Amino acid sequence: MTPLAREGGIALIVLALLLGAPALFSSPAFEDFIIRLSALALFASSLNLLVGASGMISFGHGMFYGFGAYAFALLMQRTALSLLPAFLLTLGLTALAALLVGGVCIRLKTIYFAFVTLAIQMLFYSVIISWESLTGGDQGLRGGIPRRVIAGLDINHQRHLYQVCALLLVVGLFAMRHITASPFGMTLRMIRDNEARAAFLGIPLWRPKLAVFVLAAVFAALGGVLASLFVSGAYPELADWPISGQAIFAVMLGGIESFLGPLAGSAILLALNDIFTRITEYHGLVQGGVILLFALGLRRGVLDFLRRDRARGEAASR
Amino acid sequence: MDLEALVACFGSLACVVTQTTSGLIVGLLLFLVAAGLTLIFGVLKIVNFAHGTFYMLGAYIAYSVLRASGSYGLAVLAAGAAMAVFGVAFERFLIARVYGGNVLMQLLICYAVVLIFDDLVKLVWGADFHAMGMPDAFQRAPIFIAGGVVPPFYAGLIAVSLCLAALLGLGLGVTRIGKIITAAADNPQMVSALGINTTALFALVFGLGGGLAGLAGALAAPVRSLSPGMGFSVLIESFIITVIGGMGSIAGALLAAIGIGLLRGFGTIGFPLFTDGLIYAAMILVLLLRPSGLFGREMV
Amino acid sequence: MTKEGVCRRTVLTAGVASMISMPFVARGAGNAVRIGVPTVLSGPIALLGTSSRNALMLEADRINAGGGLAGRKIELIFQDGKAQPQETARIAREMINSGGCELLIDATPSSGAFAVQEVVRDLGVLCFHTGSETSSLTADPKLRAPTAFRCARQGVHDSIAGGAYLAQFASEHKFNKWATCSPDYAYGHDTTVQFLDFFRHFKPDIEIITQAWPKLGQPDLTEVITKLIQAKPQALFTLLYAGDLSAFINQGNVYALFGAMSVCTPNVDYPVLNAIKNLPDGIQSGTRYFEDFPALPANKAWGEAYRTRFGEYPTNWSWQSAASMMFLEAAAKKAGTADGKALVPVLSGLTIDCPFGVDGRITMRDDHTIIDYAIGWGHTIAKPPFITGVKAADWGQIIELETAWKKQQGYI
Repeated sequence: MTPLAREGGIALIVLALLLGAPALFSSPAFEDFIIRLSALALFASSLNLLVGASGMISFGHGMFYGFGAYAFALLMQRTALSLLPAFLLTLGLTALAALLVGGVCIRLKTIYFAFVTLAIQMLFYSVIISWESLTGGDQGLRGGIPRRVIAGLDINHQRHLYQVCALLLVVGLFAMRHITASPFGMTLRMIRDNEARAAFLGIPLWRPKLAVFVLAAVFAALGGVLASLFVSGAYPELADWPISGQAIFAVMLGGIESFLGPLAGSAILLALNDIFTRITEYHGLVQGGVILLFALGLRRGVLDFLRRDRARGEAASR
Repeated sequence: MDLEALVACFGSLACVVTQTTSGLIVGLLLFLVAAGLTLIFGVLKIVNFAHGTFYMLGAYIAYSVLRASGSYGLAVLAAGAAMAVFGVAFERFLIARVYGGNVLMQLLICYAVVLIFDDLVKLVWGADFHAMGMPDAFQRAPIFIAGGVVPPFYAGLIAVSLCLAALLGLGLGVTRIGKIITAAADNPQMVSALGINTTALFALVFGLGGGLAGLAGALAAPVRSLSPGMGFSVLIESFIITVIGGMGSIAGALLAAIGIGLLRGFGTIGFPLFTDGLIYAAMILVLLLRPSGLFGREMV
Repeated sequence: MTKEGVCRRTVLTAGVASMISMPFVARGAGNAVRIGVPTVLSGPIALLGTSSRNALMLEADRINAGGGLAGRKIELIFQDGKAQPQETARIAREMINSGGCELLIDATPSSGAFAVQEVVRDLGVLCFHTGSETSSLTADPKLRAPTAFRCARQGVHDSIAGGAYLAQFASEHKFNKWATCSPDYAYGHDTTVQFLDFFRHFKPDIEIITQAWPKLGQPDLTEVITKLIQAKPQALFTLLYAGDLSAFINQGNVYALFGAMSVCTPNVDYPVLNAIKNLPDGIQSGTRYFEDFPALPANKAWGEAYRTRFGEYPTNWSWQSAASMMFLEAAAKKAGTADGKALVPVLSGLTIDCPFGVDGRITMRDDHTIIDYAIGWGHTIAKPPFITGVKAADWGQIIELETAWKKQQGYI
């Protein structure tokens, strides 16, 4: 069996489990969790396409998450477009925006790339805040995303939204997995590990870099669309720079070298938040403490740690 | 846009004097925070996203010391000293443990520290905002210079900040340790190869940066609202200043800080709704045209 | 080595798995009426959340001591939505879906309230918004939710009352040259425009000579203050509030701003008074929550009970939250049940006795927002009670102009 077929099989099983879960035990909280997880995990995994797979550290990736949320909510509120065209148009618009932003940014290296992406996100955020007639300013796009039922699917209904999110999460992750495993992914890794050598081998650097930047932005926007559906609107917080931080922290907590690291990190981050905000008013204190323990105790993401631990264990038993 | 008002302001000496001192005040206090940020980045190549926390703690400590002792001078010194110690501890116990790892790991640690201390401040001082109030020594009527208004407290702040800037520049340029720090910012491998104890050096730089942020918090406390999370907006602005001025360059930070202060001072008259956007645009332009900032050196 | 490695891995995996699964176990509430309170307990406006929580606890204890809601004890569940819409929406849903809560008291600012509104529309549970003053939340029929009520001031009411008071103040002192200084975001812009509209309605000959727009939470307002001083207005209207207002007053003092112009704001409340060491005399201010207005024994007693128990003064959100509990209590009594859905028709149009009503009574109008609550304007003095000479607003006038405004907006 090829790895692709094997992973495709696993993806199908996971999807079946997720879709079948509500039949076994009905927990709206679990469904909410998966909806939020799918938004954050797609977003964080898309960031890892840049950070982990290509070595491009972006501090401003959240702008595409926010862009996706706003573009989708605006298309649904302002036009009569049906769900699917609005969704596809959102991804297309994001790709266009990413092409522009990426075209400007990718020639910068290392930390300067990180800074310029952050600066552009700040500008984007301040445009959202100031352009009140379009975006509602700081109050966001309120009043809900209109219900447009297609083929019996009402996306404002929690169970239906859950099913859509589960599907997009699995398909999105599988697609990203496929991208990193492809020859294109190999090229990116080569650039990440040794840019000079890749250039020497005659690989034009900017093309794959720009391509992965646009791809990552589209997957981030996918997460943003799900987030906007969950809150039934779009709010500036979805585009502010702490949201970029969320993705970075999810990637770091879960593991930068493991493909599923960002997914694991997102789950941990959300669970930490959900549990501690419920238990205590001082959730920041506890959450910060736990994150410190993770960071200082493992010094890498959880999945990376587990993999190395296993590798060491196997080496020792041999 | 209100360019008419801006032109009118430039035509009036009173307006120019007042808005210039406003700009200096805004800029110089930001400089004290940004100086530490840029120093830490220059030497350690770390973006200290917990720097706003140093500023916040400095302000709160000064508030409490002033309450207890009644002396503003003591409050400022105590805040600076406490945050210098805090900076060293932060570097030794947290940041030093992830040297050599992914830079994003340092970011994660800074995030955790921000979360923890925002809550600790809430726990110790309460969730409501506090105001320190003007120390008695500065409760005087504003001075008028060429028709422009300059409050005595602000005149004092400008003087103190400029002195600190001069001391910092002099200290880095003349003293042995200062020269080592400058050299380390340029070429850390070389400094370590020369047998200089970089462990102590890194802790020292964090201590210096923390102390400056603490001083800034204490100096600003009499006129600002103290609340948990108050370091956030200051962090953003100082970050912009260090990027524009050049990460690692003290002179760059000073000029960028004053520049942004003046932009705010006159921007509020000419284009009050667009000053922020202008600052971000300036930051993007600088990064694109000269990534290492106006005064920074290209990172090796 | 091997064993240890496997062990660590197992523990870690098990720990993470159990941590993630924990929130999905639904919890029951027994016979108690569990009320979910999404609020703000962290960040710069945490005080509003904690003071709402205090007031709700005070009222819940009082109601429980008297036998509860239709015989059922009240149990309050507080959670921090961090003033973020998505987080607030999440906890509101979770409270209902798995937290065993039957109804919501949404003590969050507008950003949270609009997100909660969509959740309420979806789940059809009874909800009181006790933080959001944004008029459209209930005034706009498109945004209104059938089971959601606003138990808080409404922006348009304050604008009319403030406009009327300022017009009289301006006429008395012949102040025609005005400046404004409000936070640079939608609330600041919209509410400033609305205030000025009604101000001009009552006094058409005022002139706005300059407007300043500091950022929300901007620590240093120096350049704004000097700009205002140089424009030399006779009076200044500002919508800055809480920490920003306190910083503005402190920094304004440095420039002797309060000697240079008359300052008017709806927003001087107890936390601001508490934080400011040198309160200038003669700031014209609205009363947010004020123990001496309305001058009713019940109001004074409520404020004192709050202070005694919590060691601090109540905020505007405190009375709004407390009033929502009073509405709940009265509706449950009238309906003989604590079932949220059954209370909705009872609440609509209900008038209750309430210490915060201008005549000791507040009405929940049939458009799900309250009227006849205390709105007054007075001026500050440096000593307690800090605000004096409070004049009550004319509710007849407010409702007349509000109706005209709603027509103009196309809401009715």
